[in-house]
Amino acid sequence: MEPLIAGLTALMDPNLLVLLFAATLGGVIIGALPGLNATTGAALLLPFTITMEPIPAIAILTTIYCAATFAGAITAILINTPGTSASATTCLDGFPLAQRGEAGRALGMATISSTVGGIISVVCLMLAAPLMARMAYNFAPPEYFALTVFGISMLATIGDGTPLKNIIAGAFGVFLATVGKDLLTTVERFTFGFNELSEGIGFVPVMIGIFGISELLVQAERLSVERRQVIMKAIKLPSREDYARVWKTVLRSSGIGTFIGILPAEGATVASMIGYNEARRWSKKPEEFGKGSIEGIAGAEAANNSATGGAMVPTLALGIPGSPTAAVILAGLMVHGLQPGPTMFTEQATFAYAIFWSMLLVNVMFIFVGLFGAKIFARVTFVPVQILWPIVFTFSIVGAYALDQSMLDVYIAVGSGVIGYFMRRFGYSVVPLAIGLILGGMLEKRLGQSLIMLDDQWWLMFTRPLTLLFFVLTFLALFGPFFWRRLFQQRDPMVSTGE
Amino acid sequence: MTRFAVPTGIIAFCGLAFWLSTQFDKVPPILLRGMQPADFPQMVLILIIVLSVCVALFDQPIEHGRIPTTVWVSLALFAVFALSAQLDLFLGLGIFACALAWAWGERRGWALTTVAVVSPAMVFFLFDQVFNIRFPRGLLTNLWYG
Repeated sequence: MEPLIAGLTALMDPNLLVLLFAATLGGVIIGALPGLNATTGAALLLPFTITMEPIPAIAILTTIYCAATFAGAITAILINTPGTSASATTCLDGFPLAQRGEAGRALGMATISSTVGGIISVVCLMLAAPLMARMAYNFAPPEYFALTVFGISMLATIGDGTPLKNIIAGAFGVFLATVGKDLLTTVERFTFGFNELSEGIGFVPVMIGIFGISELLVQAERLSVERRQVIMKAIKLPSREDYARVWKTVLRSSGIGTFIGILPAEGATVASMIGYNEARRWSKKPEEFGKGSIEGIAGAEAANNSATGGAMVPTLALGIPGSPTAAVILAGLMVHGLQPGPTMFTEQATFAYAIFWSMLLVNVMFIFVGLFGAKIFARVTFVPVQILWPIVFTFSIVGAYALDQSMLDVYIAVGSGVIGYFMRRFGYSVVPLAIGLILGGMLEKRLGQSLIMLDDQWWLMFTRPLTLLFFVLTFLALFGPFFWRRLFQQRDPMVSTGE
Repeated sequence: MTRFAVPTGIIAFCGLAFWLSTQFDKVPPILLRGMQPADFPQMVLILIIVLSVCVALFDQPIEHGRIPTTVWVSLALFAVFALSAQLDLFLGLGIFACALAWAWGERRGWALTTVAVVSPAMVFFLFDQVFNIRFPRGLLTNLWYG
């Protein structure tokens, strides 16, 4: 109880509250800007936080995460363009409602659902993260190694690439993490005589490159895209009947979103899709979905926002990112010298609870921002990309330079941007690369420690129950979908013949 | 074409990296605890090579359209930035931002001035004054640093 109160007290600094409100507005603007999303926004703003104390720095990043995820709904509803991929399903019912002159009702429902989903997930985070951390307190290196392998295996199902390509991208990230001095032997690897590379490739320049600069090149392909906003009169809030109709959907989707968020590497996009599908499956009026169903908006928005809290559970408790943006936040924790994991809730409990409270606070701030500022924020989408992206590039480059004040980081950011663009073009998602880069160092360290502990008899890892469990889960994560597909093909000949 | 070209490129890169990893210093066996420094990267590279072969053989090929001219122009401007940043980071940023906005169709003077002069200057002073970041000396930054 004491850390809970200490965390709240740490957050009650008026300067910090103003900063968080500004971060909420900033996050909403980022979520509404074309091509920018929570991950890119957090990566771009990470360098701004390096001179801050850990609590405000990480609170700003988590606020950006929550606010940008929510803001995707504004543009999804008003201009049929999801500000973030997590809001793609909100377009399906939000825009038809807006076209019928009910944009205010749709925005109101998105705001309330997001707020409720967010709050539920943060409460779950407050309860689950310390429990998970306590469970992991007795983990030895083999358990951590197997857990990290499991986290990396979950990359197979994320992003927009195929499972094989996702794993290649993740492995490439792990490979990049081997650049620099070997932790156990201090032998230099792939440094090519650059002293700056002795400590390894920095997370921040790579993330700025693959999320920010590669997006600039993607935007170069879409210069002719036109955006049109539907006319929105005064905001008409959802009625009491609307709330009565959706409360079960909101609760269900919040549970789904939180659970999906907790799974390593799975994020808000997957959560919103499953939340939307479940809302349709349980609805009494499934025929309305896709034509302007208020339940569809509630299902998608409650799920994608609750995934943000869920994603922070493995991030803080185990050091395994629960989503792409959580990976950036994890990088932020490491930049500030904080070690996520079981010790966070014993040695840095005030910090951890301050972050929880800040996430709770930002979810309350949505109500004001979402209901009163939606009209203004929707206009942000119309900032010409010809002006926006050169400015984003300037921020990206200076941000990449700022952390270590090294020009090499600038070139790494540009190089990562080019590599990221071609990866995306050829169907390799950049998200696994980022997560692989973060987890790679930990993976190698834990493997090395495990081998020392087990006297080089690596097969003994399989005799440890928890390690074995994580390896089985890894196997299921990698090959489960394949077996399921084969099983369905055998049971349903229609599937196998492709009819 | 990319069905084989991309995995082949990845395999070639991994092959080169694998060869480089064989040049790492080795820890004498008597002192060794755990793995040699090259072992882990080599394991990862072998995994990437095996998976790339699988992609080439089993993955559904994707139709890629031609890369638009604007992307090539933007990539060329990255090279211009990299060269001009040698003279001055903010000079490079200004040239890049202005040229990119122009290449993407922006012709309004105020907009070009904003991206080329105002935004780099604001970012410079923000980081210099608020975050105490020292930028590399160059043609423009010397005017401030003296």
